[in-house]
Amino acid sequence: MRMIWEDLQDKSFYQATARERAFGLVDKGTFKEFLGPRDKMVSPHLLVLGEALEFDDGIVVGVGKIKKHPTFVVSQEGKYVGGALGEVNGAKMSYTLRLALETYEKMKEKYGEVPDEKKPLCIVSYDSGGVRLHEANAGLLMHSECMELFYEFQNKVPNFSLCGSTIGAYGAQGFVCMSADVVIANDYGRIGLTGPDVIQQEVGKDEFDASDRALIWRTMGARSKYILGDVDYLIKDTIGAFRNQIVDLADLPMKKISRSRHLGSPKLVEENLEVVKLAAEIKANDSKDLWKYYGNDNPDELPELPYDKFISTVKRRPRAI
Amino acid sequence: MALTELNFEFKPKDAKTLVDDWSHTGIVSSGDIEVLLEKNDSLKGAAKVHIITTVVGFDNVWETVISRFIERTGLSGVNISINDNAATPAVVIRRMQQAIANGGGLQ
Repeated sequence: MRMIWEDLQDKSFYQATARERAFGLVDKGTFKEFLGPRDKMVSPHLLVLGEALEFDDGIVVGVGKIKKHPTFVVSQEGKYVGGALGEVNGAKMSYTLRLALETYEKMKEKYGEVPDEKKPLCIVSYDSGGVRLHEANAGLLMHSECMELFYEFQNKVPNFSLCGSTIGAYGAQGFVCMSADVVIANDYGRIGLTGPDVIQQEVGKDEFDASDRALIWRTMGARSKYILGDVDYLIKDTIGAFRNQIVDLADLPMKKISRSRHLGSPKLVEENLEVVKLAAEIKANDSKDLWKYYGNDNPDELPELPYDKFISTVKRRPRAI
Repeated sequence: MALTELNFEFKPKDAKTLVDDWSHTGIVSSGDIEVLLEKNDSLKGAAKVHIITTVVGFDNVWETVISRFIERTGLSGVNISINDNAATPAVVIRRMQQAIANGGGLQ
């Protein structure tokens, strides 16, 4: 396999394949894939149902290095069955996360206290619609396994969610994405629970018009999530930009990194509920009402602004913690 | 709606083999395929092809497309594994070319 690391740094994160993202996020030449296409571990369920197979089952997992950090990478491929998690790719994901935790425990045994510049990192690049319905129970189990591991990661393994590929992070993957310490996105990132089409199908077009793309993006898109504080860093659309953001944060003490967590303690739950309460109080009908509440006088222009202008002028929800 | 499995073996006249040990290209999205080329020294001058496809009834087209590609490029000494989700012949040929390029070309 030939991939040129230097070229990948300037490549669009949005357009890159899962393998390119995984390869380009860690230091040059350090990525080692687990269960790659040559191992041909395909989904046994899709085979029975007559659905197309893929040798890596739509996920790329492996380990690499960022500076001195052993870095465990999970990268989902949204073009294969919507990136949805099933038994095989779910197991690949959760076992890679488990390896990160085991690495931390082993290092702790060796060093006593794991040094900040050597602690293992975990990076997950989301591109998934949630659970693969063909193997739903197995998929759901894998989701809960990942959530549990993320809970155990607290104060041990820094955990980065990257969101900026074609599908985004939807369904149960939306939960998993938000359980990280740091959420990084580009302008194409989308995070949600129920996708637009499903909301329209279940509650009706008056509730959510799935054909209104502007509505979708200002409700679930990264810019809105950035203003509301769900996305911690909004960056430019290159693999290198995502990598640099992680490199900047990697050496910080665990306490500083986990300051941006969104879930995982009663205090954070309260903080999240404050936003819900506020939306009800000001009778927000649209994300724009909330943007305005947080001090943006030009909510209509925000989605259209060029990236640099947006970042320099936007006002965000202040975090209580 | 079962998957169709096809197996072929072709021997091109002007046999060449891949530079790298293996090469992988493509994602099995709708209308696309993935190609995995793996060098196999025991296949002297032949290419073994294994295709899994969702489409029924195009066995002859597959045979023609792949055999012509192998005859033209001389690709041999490899196991070719293809997963297909209803790709057209043009896409198949393009992905095969990319797989060879990803594997460092032919020698």
